Amino acid sequence: MDSHPSHSTLLPHITKYPHLAGCVFQVYNDILHAQRWEDLETLALPTCGRIVLKGTRPETKTVHIIMPCNLTESLSLNWLSSVFGELVETSEIYLAIVSDDSSIVYYRVSKGIVKPPS
Amino acid sequence: MCFSDAAELRSKHRICGTLSGTLPHLTQQNFFLGLPLLLMPEEVVLLVENEVAVLVDDTTSVGEPSSAELAEWDEVRKQQVSKEIALWHERDSARAALEITTGKGKGRLSEEAVQKRKERQERKAREVPRELTLDGESVPKEIALDAQAETHSQPNYTVHIPSTSLSHAWYRPSIYEDLHSASHAGLWTYPRTPEEVASCRVFRDLWEKGHFLGSGLKFGGDFLVYPGDPLRYHSHFVASVLTFPTSPIRPMEVVAHGRLGTATKKAHLLCSWDGGKQEVTYFSIEWAGFG
Repeated sequence: MDSHPSHSTLLPHITKYPHLAGCVFQVYNDILHAQRWEDLETLALPTCGRIVLKGTRPETKTVHIIMPCNLTESLSLNWLSSVFGELVETSEIYLAIVSDDSSIVYYRVSKGIVKPPS
Repeated sequence: MCFSDAAELRSKHRICGTLSGTLPHLTQQNFFLGLPLLLMPEEVVLLVENEVAVLVDDTTSVGEPSSAELAEWDEVRKQQVSKEIALWHERDSARAALEITTGKGKGRLSEEAVQKRKERQERKAREVPRELTLDGESVPKEIALDAQAETHSQPNYTVHIPSTSLSHAWYRPSIYEDLHSASHAGLWTYPRTPEEVASCRVFRDLWEKGHFLGSGLKFGGDFLVYPGDPLRYHSHFVASVLTFPTSPIRPMEVVAHGRLGTATKKAHLLCSWDGGKQEVTYFSIEWAGFG
């Protein structure tokens, strides 16, 4: 991991939360190089103890928050509430779920009852 | 319950239930369904709490009919039968009269043919019916006297079996107007566990927001959430109830719920009841569309 170009960018954050290093690293590189998001930055959420990414989605040019997590983690609605509580103006985030074989799936999680676009 | 009750529950109270009655002559189908209307336990709880419905203990509501009540019931039944037979005779003679005046119709017998048939029937009635024994002999068949008398044409009549006991004089319903008394009597004890309580609270909250709700079984959730009557709209959400806001969810469940919802043009709703704050928390899950 330390010979990878993204390593220096991510080092300060993953040092603080070493258990998230793997999933953050995978998601950061996927979003930056594969999904080609722009203006990508890494933020720490000290209250919930998580790292999130913030960037601009290329197709829509809209700014979104991405929360990397592992498939093996255990979440709860309280946990989601605290995440939204710390990200004050945000009403939706993308949950990036990373599995052992480095596959990533992205799901949009919105606060409240939000109709699917159709 | 008569059909107007089911219609009122739907139109006035946004409670749809599931029709579970099929057709007597076409039982193996589930396209045309009628009464009885099956309600989800959450629907029952809401209706009783809102004082729209009461609970009836059917097993203790049907008493023993007195001989007077039985006699009256039998009398009414006999009258219905004779009325039906009288109507049949009326129609039969009207039809026969029509045949005679108009002559041959499609499959109708002429006056001669009718007369011949009458003679044939009378001859048969006088004959002693015979049957074959094991030895191959033809011997007179033993028939009970009543059956012999009935070989003359006797119109059939319909036996009506009421689908509810409401019409019987010996039906005295045991009614419970609230959940507490019904639970005390051991008749209705839902909700009892924290899971059941959470389910009822989420159901009520979604209902109070103006939605129509149905069973989520077909889409892997607890409820289907419709913006309007299910006969007119598709559901927008599949809702899953988590017992507590601290109940664990695995990211795999998010994937499974989210993917299914998106494939069916619905979003998945994760709901939990917070007993402390007395409120429901909602999160909507959808596939991001990339990745």
